[in-house]
Amino acid sequence: MVRHLPTLSIAMSVTSLALLVTQPASAETVTLGIGTQDTTTNTVTAGVVIRQLHLLEKYLPKDGKYANIKFELEWQNFTSGPPVTNAMMANKLQIGMMGDYPLIVNGFTFESNPESKSRLIGIAAYSLSGSGNGLVVHKDSPYYDLADLKGKLVSVPFGSAAHGMVLKAMQDRGYASDFFQLVSQSPEVGSTNLQEKKIDAHADFVPFAELLPFRGFARKIFDGVETNLPTFHGIVVRTDFAEKYPEVVVAYFKAVIAANQWLRDDPKLAAEKIQEWTGISKEVVYIFLGPSGNMTTDPTIKPALIDAATTDVKVLQNLGRMKEFDPKKWVDDSYIRKAYAEMKLDYDAQLASTRNYEIAGDDSFCKKPIADPRKAGEVWVDDAGIVPFSSASCTLGAYADYKAKGKKINVAYVFDTTRGIKLFADQAFFAVGNGEVAPFLLKKDAEAYAAKISGKVLGFDDAVKAAVGGGKT
Amino acid sequence: MPATAVAEAGPAPAATPPAAPPSFGTLALRWYRLNRAGLRAIAIGVTSLIAFLLVWHLLTTYRVVFFVRFTNVPSPLAVYASFTKAMHDPKFLMHILLSCRRIFIGFSLAAIVGVPLGLIMGRFKLVHEIIFPVAEVLRPIPAIAWVPMAIMLWPTNEQSIVFITFLGSFFPILVNTLHGMSLVDPVLVRAAQCLGARERSIFREVYFPASLPHIFTGLTVGMGVAWVSLIAAEMISGQYGIGYFTWEAYSLVQYADIALGMIAIGVLGLGSSLLIRGAGQLVMPWRST
Repeated sequence: MVRHLPTLSIAMSVTSLALLVTQPASAETVTLGIGTQDTTTNTVTAGVVIRQLHLLEKYLPKDGKYANIKFELEWQNFTSGPPVTNAMMANKLQIGMMGDYPLIVNGFTFESNPESKSRLIGIAAYSLSGSGNGLVVHKDSPYYDLADLKGKLVSVPFGSAAHGMVLKAMQDRGYASDFFQLVSQSPEVGSTNLQEKKIDAHADFVPFAELLPFRGFARKIFDGVETNLPTFHGIVVRTDFAEKYPEVVVAYFKAVIAANQWLRDDPKLAAEKIQEWTGISKEVVYIFLGPSGNMTTDPTIKPALIDAATTDVKVLQNLGRMKEFDPKKWVDDSYIRKAYAEMKLDYDAQLASTRNYEIAGDDSFCKKPIADPRKAGEVWVDDAGIVPFSSASCTLGAYADYKAKGKKINVAYVFDTTRGIKLFADQAFFAVGNGEVAPFLLKKDAEAYAAKISGKVLGFDDAVKAAVGGGKT
Repeated sequence: MPATAVAEAGPAPAATPPAAPPSFGTLALRWYRLNRAGLRAIAIGVTSLIAFLLVWHLLTTYRVVFFVRFTNVPSPLAVYASFTKAMHDPKFLMHILLSCRRIFIGFSLAAIVGVPLGLIMGRFKLVHEIIFPVAEVLRPIPAIAWVPMAIMLWPTNEQSIVFITFLGSFFPILVNTLHGMSLVDPVLVRAAQCLGARERSIFREVYFPASLPHIFTGLTVGMGVAWVSLIAAEMISGQYGIGYFTWEAYSLVQYADIALGMIAIGVLGLGSSLLIRGAGQLVMPWRST
C-alpha cells in the first residue's frame, strides 16, 4: 500500500523550517527516506529485512561530522517502482529500490532534474537466466504455450520487468507486435482479472508468477528463463544526498550485506519472518530466496546485469519511451566497494561469482548425499522443517512416506530438469518412465522428454504413485 | 482555449437581433450593449486563464522553490509538445472518445436511477428509512477502493468501468435530489391537495419542479465526481481511456503526459458541466442563471 502522509510531511517540513530558523547548535536531524517494495520478494534484503531488524541503525556513522547529526529513517512501502521514482524526484525519498525497467526509467527521469541525478549503487537480487518474471493463465484454461495465446487478451504492468520479458519473448519468437492483445494492468488489477477470467493471461514480476499458482487459480506457462535475459532489482540513490552523506550510503550497504547473511543463515526462519512482515506466503518467499532458489541475493553490480540494462534501454527506445541513456555511466559502485572494504570482504571475488547458495546435505529417504542441487528436491513438513532430498524421485517418495505417516506437508519443491529452476512439485509436469521421474515447468518440455525416454507425462498425484512404485508407469 | 470557444458559442447566436435596417455600426453597438455582461465574463475568464498559464510558465522556467517546489513540474511548453505529439496519434482521440462514452453511460444510468429514487425516498418515509443508511455507508467509499470489487461483480471490464463512474455520480445526484425534496414548501403541497390534486399530480406539478434546481445541482456535482473517479475506473481497462492514459504515463514516469492527461480530464469535465447547465436552463427557463 502506498503510504501518503501529508500531515506528517507537513509537520516535518514545519519542524525542519523551525530548525532552520532557530539553528540549534547541538543536534541536526536529517531525514533519510527509503522507498521499498515489500511485496516484491527479491527486494526484501535491501528493504524490509533491514527495517525490521534495525540493521541500518546499527551501522550508521556516529562520530566525526556525524556526531551532531541525528538520522530519522522514514521507510515507505510501494507495490511498484514508478511511485518510488516519483517520490525520489520530489526528494521525499533518497534511496529507492525497484526492478530493471523502472530503474532505467528512474535514471533517465533524473537526467532532467537540475537538483540531483540518480545512480545505481547496488543490486538487491538477480537472476541471470531471467527467472522471476513469468506469465500465468487461469488453471482451467486450455493454454499451455505462448503460441496458444495468439490474438488473446494478455495483461502486463507496462514499464515493468515483466513487460520487458514479454517484449523479449515476442521478439525471440518473431511474433508481430499485435500477436497478443497486450494491455497494461497493475499486479493487483491483473490478478483479480485473471481470477475472474476477464483476461486470458497475465505476465508479472516477482512474486506474482509463483504466488498466483500457489493461491490455486493460475498456472505458469512461461518463465523468464526462456528469454535468457538477466533480470534484477537494484538500488538507486539521489546523488545530492549520497555526495553529502557518503558514509550513510556505505552504512546502508553494510546493512544490506548483514541482511543477506541473516537470510542465508536460516532461510526457513527468514521465509517465515518475511511472510509475517510482507504478507507473501513463506512457501513463495522460499522458492525465490531459499537455497538453490530462483533469485540470487547479491549486492554486487555484475557487468552482465548492466549489459542487460543496455538491452532494456533499446527496448524502451524502440517503444518511443526513452531517448539517449547510457546505463554504464549511471552505475556507481564506490559506496558498495567501500562497505565491502570496511567489512573486510572481497568485493571483486563476490563480483566475479555468480553462485547462489545451494541445497546440500544428506538425503534421509534415499540414504545418499545430495550431489547435484539442481536435480534435488525439498519437502516442507509442517513440524519437521524443510528436508532436502537428492532427486525428484526421492522427493516424491519421501512425500508419500510423510503422507503415510500422517504428517502435514506445506509444500514440496522440485527442479525443472532442463532449465534448473525451482518449481512447486504439485504444479509441475512429470515425465515418468524407465525408472526416471523428471519434473518440468512446461507440458511441452515434459512431453518431449517423455517421448525420449519412452515414458509418459503425469500430473503430481500420479507421479507420486509412480515414484513409490520405482518410477514405473 | 476550448473553454472560451464553448462560452462564446453560447451568447453569439442569441445576440443576432431580429431583421432590422440599421447600419452595421449601430448593430454592433447594440449587440455590445446587450451582451456586455457576457463579454466581460469572457474577457476576464480568458485573462485569468492566460495569467494561470503565465504563472505556471514562470514558476516552472525559473524552477521556483518556496516551500512548494516547481523544480520538476513540467512547463506548459513541455505539455504543449506532448499535446501536439498526442494529436498526431490516433490513439489519443480513441482515449478521449472511450472515456466520454464511459462517463456518458455511467452518468446517464446514475441520473436515471438516482433522481427517481431520490424523489421516492423524499416522498415516502419508509423507503427513505430503508435505503438511506445503506446509501450513507456506501457513499464515502472512494472509487479506487471499488476497483477489485467492480472487477469481480461485472462480467466485462467495460461494465466494471462504467459501474465505477456510475457510483461516482450516483450519490451526489441522490443526496441532492433528497435535499431538494426536503425543501419543498409544505404549504404548496397542502394547497394542491385542497384543490383536489391526487398523489400523481402533486408529484408532477409540485414536488418535481420544486426540487429541480437541486436535482440539477446534483447532476452537475455528479458529473464532476464521475470524471474524478475516471482514473480509478480506467486502471481496470488496461488499454484505452484518458484516465488510463494518465495512469500509464505515471507508470513510465512521464510528467508532461501526466499533466496533459490531467488537463484533458479538466477540460472534458468543464465541457460536460456546461452541457448540464445548458440543459438546466432549457428545463428551468424561470431561473435566470
